[in-house]
Amino acid sequence: MKQVLANTRRHFLQGGSLGLANLFLAEAQQKPARAGKAKSIIYLHMAGAPSQLELFDYKPELVKYNGKPCPDELLKGKRFAFIKGVPNMLGTPYKFARQGQSGAMMSELLPRFSKLADEVTIVRSMSTDQFNHAPAQLFMHTGNSRFGFASMGAWVTYGLGTENQDLPGFVVLTSGGNNPDGGKSLWGSAFLPSVYQGVHCRSHGEPVLFLSDPEGVTRSMRRKTLDAMKDLNAMERERSGDPETDARMSQYELAYKMQISVPKVMDISKESPETHALYGTQPGKTSFANNCLLARRLVENGVRFVQLYDWGWDHHGTSKRDDIEHALKPHIAECDQAIAALLTDLKQRGLLDQTLVVWGGEFGRTPMRENRGGTEGAFRGRDHHPYAFTIWMAGAGVKKGLNYGETDDIGYYVVKDKMTPRDLQSTILHLAGADPYTLHYPYLGLNQRLIGPTDEGRIMKDLLI
Amino acid sequence: MRTFWLALAATAMAQPPDFQRDIRPLLAKRCLACHGPDEHSRQAGLRLDRFDGATKTGVIVPGRSAKSRLVARVTNEKLPMPPTGPRLTANEIAMLKNWIDAGAASANHWAYEKIQLPGVPEVKQPDWPRNAIDNFILKTLEGQSVRPSKEAPRNTLARRVALDLTGLPPDAAAMAKIDNYEAYVDALLASPRFGERWAKVWLDLARYADTQGYEKDNKRTIWPYRDWVIRAYNDNLPFDKFTILQLAADLTEDPSVDDLIATGFHRNTMTNTEGGTDDEEFRDLAIRDRIATTGQVWMGQTWGCAQCHTHKYDPLTHKEFYQLYAYFNQTADDDHPSDRPVLKLSKDVSTLVLKELDAYKRRTTRIYERGNFLTPGEAVEAATPAAFPAMPAKAQNNRLGFAQWLVSKDNPLTARVTVNRFWSRLMGRGIVESEEDFGTQGTAPTHPELLDWLAAGFQKDWDVKRLLKLIVMSAAYRQDSAVTPALLEKDPLNKLYARGARFRLDAEAVRDQALAAAGLLSGKLYGPPVMPWQPDGVWLVTYNSDRWVTSQGEDRYRRALYTFMRRSSAYPSMMNFDAPNGETCTIRRIRTNTPLQALTSMNDPAFMEAAQRLAERAAKDANPAAKLFESVLLRQPSKTELQRVQQLHAATIAELKASPSNAAKLVKYSEVLYAEDRESTLIPDARTKPREWRFKTSDPGAGWNTAEFNDSNWSAGPGYFGYFNKPNESTPIKSAWDTDQLWLRIAIDLEAPLPARFKMPIRTNSQFDVWVNGVHALNNIFERGGHFDYLLNDDGQRAFKPGRNVVAIRVTRHGARGSGQVFDPGLVASLPVKLNKPSRDEFSRAAWVVVANTILNLDETLTRR
Repeated sequence: MKQVLANTRRHFLQGGSLGLANLFLAEAQQKPARAGKAKSIIYLHMAGAPSQLELFDYKPELVKYNGKPCPDELLKGKRFAFIKGVPNMLGTPYKFARQGQSGAMMSELLPRFSKLADEVTIVRSMSTDQFNHAPAQLFMHTGNSRFGFASMGAWVTYGLGTENQDLPGFVVLTSGGNNPDGGKSLWGSAFLPSVYQGVHCRSHGEPVLFLSDPEGVTRSMRRKTLDAMKDLNAMERERSGDPETDARMSQYELAYKMQISVPKVMDISKESPETHALYGTQPGKTSFANNCLLARRLVENGVRFVQLYDWGWDHHGTSKRDDIEHALKPHIAECDQAIAALLTDLKQRGLLDQTLVVWGGEFGRTPMRENRGGTEGAFRGRDHHPYAFTIWMAGAGVKKGLNYGETDDIGYYVVKDKMTPRDLQSTILHLAGADPYTLHYPYLGLNQRLIGPTDEGRIMKDLLI
Repeated sequence: MRTFWLALAATAMAQPPDFQRDIRPLLAKRCLACHGPDEHSRQAGLRLDRFDGATKTGVIVPGRSAKSRLVARVTNEKLPMPPTGPRLTANEIAMLKNWIDAGAASANHWAYEKIQLPGVPEVKQPDWPRNAIDNFILKTLEGQSVRPSKEAPRNTLARRVALDLTGLPPDAAAMAKIDNYEAYVDALLASPRFGERWAKVWLDLARYADTQGYEKDNKRTIWPYRDWVIRAYNDNLPFDKFTILQLAADLTEDPSVDDLIATGFHRNTMTNTEGGTDDEEFRDLAIRDRIATTGQVWMGQTWGCAQCHTHKYDPLTHKEFYQLYAYFNQTADDDHPSDRPVLKLSKDVSTLVLKELDAYKRRTTRIYERGNFLTPGEAVEAATPAAFPAMPAKAQNNRLGFAQWLVSKDNPLTARVTVNRFWSRLMGRGIVESEEDFGTQGTAPTHPELLDWLAAGFQKDWDVKRLLKLIVMSAAYRQDSAVTPALLEKDPLNKLYARGARFRLDAEAVRDQALAAAGLLSGKLYGPPVMPWQPDGVWLVTYNSDRWVTSQGEDRYRRALYTFMRRSSAYPSMMNFDAPNGETCTIRRIRTNTPLQALTSMNDPAFMEAAQRLAERAAKDANPAAKLFESVLLRQPSKTELQRVQQLHAATIAELKASPSNAAKLVKYSEVLYAEDRESTLIPDARTKPREWRFKTSDPGAGWNTAEFNDSNWSAGPGYFGYFNKPNESTPIKSAWDTDQLWLRIAIDLEAPLPARFKMPIRTNSQFDVWVNGVHALNNIFERGGHFDYLLNDDGQRAFKPGRNVVAIRVTRHGARGSGQVFDPGLVASLPVKLNKPSRDEFSRAAWVVVANTILNLDETLTRR
């Protein structure tokens, strides 16, 4: 990939065109990045938006008001996805306790992750301006709530390249039985050259579609066809003068390497029984736990950006399948084990210091109990809530054991140290070694940036070592 | 970015800022929220989107920034403007001052000016132009002292124009005319393949798909609309009529059934059938999508931006967005799972159409504050945006009138946007590169007069075939695409059109060309979408239980545009080559170049099958290598190319001799591929005559899943196993099971050679594990209940052996106790293809398959040049 990148850049400097990119890239060419603290990034996105109030943001006052009607001033002028009329307040049914030196309040639903309280920075003051899944996910990962913008992983690999020449720099893994609502645009490269788009790896069948040679074609036969292709393409290159031909041949060579490197890195069956026990992984399954283990393997092999989407965190409480009891509990149990295992494993291998791990959803959940259609159902759940939610970060460059930000007594608004998706994006780019303000790409008359057109996004120095 | 702005500001100091580039965006960003077109939020009666008022009241005094109150306020420490948010930067203030000092010039955006027919320019080399297009192109080239390229070789041009006009290599009818370029072009324009090719271009804009979208993404029937578009292009329906029928045929006088089908255009919006969604919320989203799509497709306007607030850059206020909304707000469709209203076409086929609501049901359209459909504000009436000429005099103020307005002669955008899009498909880039944005943020035209000359001509007759023919007949189009290093350096993006365009084929053409060259491509037009071969498991990503069932016969080899388009799970090879998934209107595809594409065209069995058929045909020829070149590239190979290909063929034969079974597989590639054609039921399930299984409802102890285990004391019974909450007559339980777990065993005898691709059709709402002869063959963590085929894993596939085999299953109830549970297993496998020891001839043919695979992957093959 590095080679492809180098080739790409050379063509631009020569004034050639390549793929969708254009000459502006030479002008936009990033300065050699300073060494970022995070060589790799693992972003764990819980698609659907898990409830901060059941997990991280303890609100005894809310518990006190449980079942009481929501005060009018919290509803006036507000838009909810499903809440109608006056809903009741919903206190969490779960117990919270202080953890570790940092004294972080965490829910009993996180028995394993709680033990790592002193490894992480918990931000309880996230706030976004999107309250539907797809737009909020797009905003979080592409800096824009509409389709058509480049994703964070694409920006990072565009700005910094990748360490492993035989693997894609940006890999996406999904679990939970569904792709996230924002769809494949969440890992697209949009206007950035497509070498930076996320490669979606599957845990069933071939990890990447069409990765294996066809029946009857051996690897040495494939090598010979590629050699012939190279010679024949060189003749066409000579005729046409078009550097795009070279770029195509590079992609074929990369594909050839990926045929070996991808199945190898995606095979978790050789991991030790202890490791499988730690994560709760089973080879051959599609699960968030398997993906967490794969994420470790990928960063170990120099993949720059590993994006996980775990579907099924939209706990509205319309039925047993999406309430905060029957549905949230087993889901968070799997998640708790896997995230604790990932941090522990990275740390044991000395990778945590150079890997940034981020966990969170696209928004939060309401302190009110959802009353879909205006009536309270038999199951408990919460509606979408953009004003306050919790994420955590750990690893490279991030403070250990920090509790950051506060919400009000019922967890409705942020009252201290508000942080936005733009702040998070700025901080992630910064940790990766890119300058969020200068990392840009000229497209359609605008200098596109992950953090959007204004400089409102902040590098959150308070969170960093 | 910061350094970029500094650099820009430094430039701005040196020369007066450009209004379009520097000032309009600054004002839009920082001032127009309170001093813009939106009268409701306008403060102090001041507008800065136009300047008549501001100059009259001394807010701006052209030429004298020191006297201008605008400058005084933005620099005022105590009462700064803007009153909230960050202050204007020193550079921004300097830019404003410089602009005012330079006279505060403002201008209308070029694209909003009426289209005037420009004169055709004189050129110094009058023998180059073939038609007026060339005068415009050459005039610019002469201004830059660049010479146009020579005409492309005959066959290169023949392949190019066939791919451009029909999306395929030329058919026999066209080939017969190859020596007369104009007759050749006419043959292509008359080919039914023409309509298929351009329909696909239009369907990208129409966000066409065969499913409803969103989470469930159920099937819908709207392919009659796709067929209507194909016919419209083949019949050369004038673009104005094409427009009116799609947007409002239901409101025209006495529309035919065909006309009504056209309104499917805006029924391609997604429908959310997820439980608990508010139908009105998604109806509202569909209406917004219709406005955004209409704005982009016909006028190159980003109207969608104005749904929450007045457009920051272009002349569309928040209110005007909802006035447009009012045109589209009176249709009967309302995000219902049934997708009503539909038009019944035959006993089995109903297609989605638009239908205007009855008068008494008409909706009141209100402005949604900040775009939120739950906070409706002022009621508005339908109206076109004030910045554009009014509706035609005779037009009614409804959806039909709006459509007529789009194609009226006074509309400055529709013709420009449309000719630009056709131009771009043929010439590699638009005269306006940002095909989707003709607003102030779009790119400026490289040849504004040419654009207007084409647009003015197009407005006269809206004749699409005439326009396309005009372009492909031009000398500019016919140029060779070879580029010299000097020209590449001067004009890397070919903005001057001093050479022919060279770019990778569209996803559909990559596939269709391979099938055509192999002689596989079906010429069948129209009809329900088809399901060509697709890898197992691609469709299992969502909750939807629809299955991908490989089509039969020629439907496996239809043109790509007939492939079933599922939004949430598009056909993989199309996706890898940048085809959109139908979620939103896609004005132009961004062409990419990735390793996934290489993997697709090398390894996708669909391409490999084409390689096999291609090789079969070529092998019959006296010179197979030359035949391959001719079939795929429409040209003879050079001597060096021929040698290289023959060398590969010889080397491959040597490889194959070392592994003869590979040669046997390659010559029967297609037969082996369609395993479903040879499927046979090994263990029937409850749908037919279920076989008896041995079963146990308590833990049978170690070794229970091995072949040797003695199960003679287990119970015996056929499926269904389980119990239903409510008695279900159609699926009676044959073997009662109500415990947490169930253990099952069955023995089957197999003969050599063994069948392949073992799969288990299983109906259940439980999770289960399968062993074959003690080897773990399948693990199903519960994702959803239903009746599905489960393909055994690789270990399981290999665990079967000739003789007695035992399949063992452990079922674990997933749902709550007492909620009903069912398990009905079967086993299906594909009978083997008999592979003979290859003959000498077959070794050679197998090697040609590998060579054909190589030829299909050449850069030249994948490129339109």
